[in-house]
Amino acid sequence: MSAEKVELTERLELIESMIAEGRRSTTRWAWTIVLWGVAFYVALAWSSGMLGGPIWGQRYMAWPVTMITTWLLSWGLAARMRKGANAPMTTVGRAIISIWAAMGISMFALLLPLGLSGRADQQVILAVVMTLLGTANAASGMLLKWPAQIGCAVVWWLASWASLFGTATQSLIAFLVAIFICQILFGIYAMILESRGRRRQGAVNA
Amino acid sequence: MPELPELNPVIHGKLRLAVLSLLMGVDEAEFTWLREKTGSTDGNLGAQLMKLEEAGYVAMKKQFVLRKPQTLYRMTEKGRTALGEYVDALKQLLGAAI
Repeated sequence: MSAEKVELTERLELIESMIAEGRRSTTRWAWTIVLWGVAFYVALAWSSGMLGGPIWGQRYMAWPVTMITTWLLSWGLAARMRKGANAPMTTVGRAIISIWAAMGISMFALLLPLGLSGRADQQVILAVVMTLLGTANAASGMLLKWPAQIGCAVVWWLASWASLFGTATQSLIAFLVAIFICQILFGIYAMILESRGRRRQGAVNA
Repeated sequence: MPELPELNPVIHGKLRLAVLSLLMGVDEAEFTWLREKTGSTDGNLGAQLMKLEEAGYVAMKKQFVLRKPQTLYRMTEKGRTALGEYVDALKQLLGAAI
């Protein structure tokens, strides 16, 4: 190989490696998946009357209060974590945040009037929620080329079908199982991957 | 035989090419982040960034966050186009060299 070709190849490799380096996220976000899973469980337990006490007695407040509180908590903690780091916002990161924000707003915009108008049917609501969660997971998974997240999308969609064709109890069980697989288990798996990635990066930079 | 393209000398420098490639995937980046990723010194990085700024390929912004000064760089549209053209020229030259 000629010296000129070696130099040109080196330049091309430099471009590829630097673009990949720039896109490599150093932000920790997997905890938000687990947090939202726990929030879904709390909202379900509250709305079904499993939690006692004067505040927990207001069952109609379960979903709006839990969802808004979790959103504020996620936003506040993420902003706090970003403040100390000098890592820039990547284009892919912005795209993923946009997908989840749009999904959250759509869910809120649909479910709030649905609940207030009294046209809400629990099985239909669960199916809508699960389909939207499937959509957001699929879009993120495709963007990140991450089969595990695309798998989560499939689980949400299957649970959504089960919710429509099964009984009310089966619908609830499908939701609980999907939360466990796609929020708790997948969230912990993502946290382990993040931790491994940080350790590897630390070893490289050392 | 078609004429081979010339490589843009402003982009061809290794550190300048690394900086532009890094900025390609992010909205904007702090000077310290660029220094960390490229492993260069303050002086060298500052000089190369100034050349890129003069060419209109990057834009610089200074701000204060929690009373600490921050220097942020982002790639301009001109820089994005120039890097794209550079990569095309590089591929063409590599194709001709085989």
